[in-house]
Amino acid sequence: MTLEVTLAHRQGDFDLDVQFQTPPGVTVFFGPSGSGKTTLVNAIAGLLRPQRGRVVADGWVLVDTGAKHFLPPHRRRLGYVFQEGRLFPHLSVRQNLAYGRWFNPGQSPGEFDRVVELLGIGHLLARRPGALSGGEKQRVAIGRALLAAPKLILADEPLAALDEARKEEILPYFERLRDEVAVPIVYVSHSSFEVARLATTVVALRHGRVVALGPPEQVLGDVAAVGPRGAASVLSVRVVAHHADGLSELTCGAGTLWLPRVPEPPGTTLRVRIAAQEVILSRARPQGLSALNILVGTVEDIQKGRGPGALVALRIGRDRLLARVTGRSIRAMGLEPGQTCHAIVKSVAVAPEDVGTTTSPAHAG
Amino acid sequence: MSASCAIRRLVALAAALALLALPLRASAADVLVFAAASLTDALDRVATAWSEETANRAILSFAGSSALARQIQQGAPADIFISASVEWMDAVEASGDIRAGTRRDLLANTLVLIAHGRDVSPVTIDETLDLAGMLGDERLAMALVEAVPAGIYGKAALTALGLWDDVAPLVAQADNVRAALAFVARNEAPLGIVYATEAVVEDNVTIIANFPPGTHAPIILPAAMTAESQSPAAEAFLAYLSSPNAREIWAEFGFIVLD
Amino acid sequence: MWEAAANWLGPAEWQAVRLSLRVSFWATVASLPLGIFVAYALARWSFPGKQLLNGLVHLPLILPPVVTGYLLLIAFGRRGFIGQYLEAWFGIVLSFRWTGAAVAAAVMAFPLMVRAIRLAIEAVDPKLEAAAGTLGAPPAWVFVTVTLPLILPGIVAGAILAFAKAIGEFGATITFVSNIPGQTQTMPSAIYAFLQVPGGGEAAGRLVIVAIVIAMAALFLSEFIARRVAKRVAGG
Repeated sequence: MTLEVTLAHRQGDFDLDVQFQTPPGVTVFFGPSGSGKTTLVNAIAGLLRPQRGRVVADGWVLVDTGAKHFLPPHRRRLGYVFQEGRLFPHLSVRQNLAYGRWFNPGQSPGEFDRVVELLGIGHLLARRPGALSGGEKQRVAIGRALLAAPKLILADEPLAALDEARKEEILPYFERLRDEVAVPIVYVSHSSFEVARLATTVVALRHGRVVALGPPEQVLGDVAAVGPRGAASVLSVRVVAHHADGLSELTCGAGTLWLPRVPEPPGTTLRVRIAAQEVILSRARPQGLSALNILVGTVEDIQKGRGPGALVALRIGRDRLLARVTGRSIRAMGLEPGQTCHAIVKSVAVAPEDVGTTTSPAHAG
Repeated sequence: MSASCAIRRLVALAAALALLALPLRASAADVLVFAAASLTDALDRVATAWSEETANRAILSFAGSSALARQIQQGAPADIFISASVEWMDAVEASGDIRAGTRRDLLANTLVLIAHGRDVSPVTIDETLDLAGMLGDERLAMALVEAVPAGIYGKAALTALGLWDDVAPLVAQADNVRAALAFVARNEAPLGIVYATEAVVEDNVTIIANFPPGTHAPIILPAAMTAESQSPAAEAFLAYLSSPNAREIWAEFGFIVLD
Repeated sequence: MWEAAANWLGPAEWQAVRLSLRVSFWATVASLPLGIFVAYALARWSFPGKQLLNGLVHLPLILPPVVTGYLLLIAFGRRGFIGQYLEAWFGIVLSFRWTGAAVAAAVMAFPLMVRAIRLAIEAVDPKLEAAAGTLGAPPAWVFVTVTLPLILPGIVAGAILAFAKAIGEFGATITFVSNIPGQTQTMPSAIYAFLQVPGGGEAAGRLVIVAIVIAMAALFLSEFIARRVAKRVAGG
């Protein structure tokens, strides 16, 4: 399914004006707070009536102000996962999950059990939301959205209210959703970790405008979209083996990558996000370093920022690796596009949340 | 000086201070009059006339006689009390709140049967009057028949005539005569029993009969000066209530002036 | 013990107590749907004349009860501009009937009821209702399955407050429907009548005790129910 959005909406000082079209899969609206992500997703949900615009999901017109067409939220067939969960406090987990089913009677009875199993919430069914942890609440919220038999799942920063450990608990469920459930997802986030792990397509927003649009590898490396400090690379890697010293051996296009142990079994394809500022460059092959990961590539381009920093992109096999270094270093090293260069990445610089399972080809297509 | 006496003084002082806040006329003395609500229109006129003649001022507080009597017993700073019933004046006198020798029967009132509208023929009240038949399924408006003097007199009169038992289930009791009058004026009840003086001030009702004098105890309105009165003009006002000028006003409103 | 209690009050006094309970019960129950509707409108909608409606609802709180009673008489009396049509079209007569006493009590208690329910509605996160909408629930269904259960403690509190106020209502009642034993003589009317007679204080005192007991029982009950409902709603 494709999502076509043309919207113009002014609210006080804030002015949203966007136009884009995204392919099937997970579309992440990415940007800092105040960039218009939530306004955008609320307009898609019908919680906000845009002043001008048109939203079409898979050929289904949700709103078209030109044609005076506005579908109220309850007729849009959505599953909305909110930042704060928004579970109904007076209903049990089971009743919360079943809420959307009242309006979609055609659903197969096995679907409920399948979703409960997918999210691992079978033991919570009799409880009230008040008795759940933050992570459990979000899992139930995801289940509730799924069981409304949605044509489109919207998730507005569903992890923002959770601590790091809880985020790690929930993210895999979204990955499973992406890979196992054939429902397109619109996911709002300000976190490049989540973008790297989940996105098929990233719509980067700033001040109510689209500043970049494309696959995460491209958008996360785009300084205009993420700022010099946010720049990162997303590498596709395959798990080779787990070693006794607590490290996992992974291969990418141009060599071996050693990372703190990842949970996935050997053979699994993963995405690894490497922040540009964690990468050190060297013209010569460095020796006697503590860092385990030394990758060899070719300088593809150099983006100079307004400050002292610059972003160097290396082509390493199929992947593009970004390094954030100072302009002074570039001059001292005499770096230029086309040169061979070594990139050094500390294993421990890659946090667990930087590693996620990859999009299955069926959905990436 | 007893404690309650001291409290009364304080209350009187507070009232006096409050009155000072009002605009004052030169060399004026104020008299605070507690009077039964049924005197409202007539006493207003009498008090205005007195003020114009003497440059003193009467401040009038109207309420049910029972409420006024209780307030006086609790030390309200009234100078003059005019009650709509002998019983409540008796109660105030018995509790020592009336200045000895000042009580007298000031006015008398009569009880009448009224009907809604202006174009109604009169009837004669006697044992043969089919009051229940005149009402049909509607109501006879009266003041509370166990509590408010006008209601008590009315019930006594109907009982004496042997009409009460038939009409009792049809009586709608209001908490005062004015409210009973309003029921008839608005035609919620076609008939009512009120004082003659009340019927006079309402355009939408007609007096269709007077109750014969023997059917109920005389309706006497006694007046007296309170024991705690401090006003130099109180005695003068009490006397003025029976002056020729005042008598004229009372008569105009349908009161009978006694003594 | 029951017999002693029964004999403690005379038959006329019992009649007043029973009538008061009946009038207050129906005044509360009958005005509850409108109370919830008005509270919801004031809490959630913006429409022209909202402040006017708000003022109108609160008017009985501000006006002397006698004035409210007189306005009711003018409007709902048999010759009133509404009452005459109620009688002609529906055969409903309020004046001098216990139903009229219930209307007077309901009008006087209405502001208290609406206030309590409105506060409860304002405490419900509209985002929960929006969430229900995105799951496919039409607005009426959202109200019944989400809003209503969540404001139940407020509804209970508002209803019991209204009931207690109705038990004590006097001025508007006696002005609108007068004081007819068995029809419109509620406890406060009876207490008032007793107090008008020298020496009537004792009978009035007995009824005052009954009124206090009923009001206290209602308040305790409301606390109890509100706490239980709140616990159920909050989950635990």
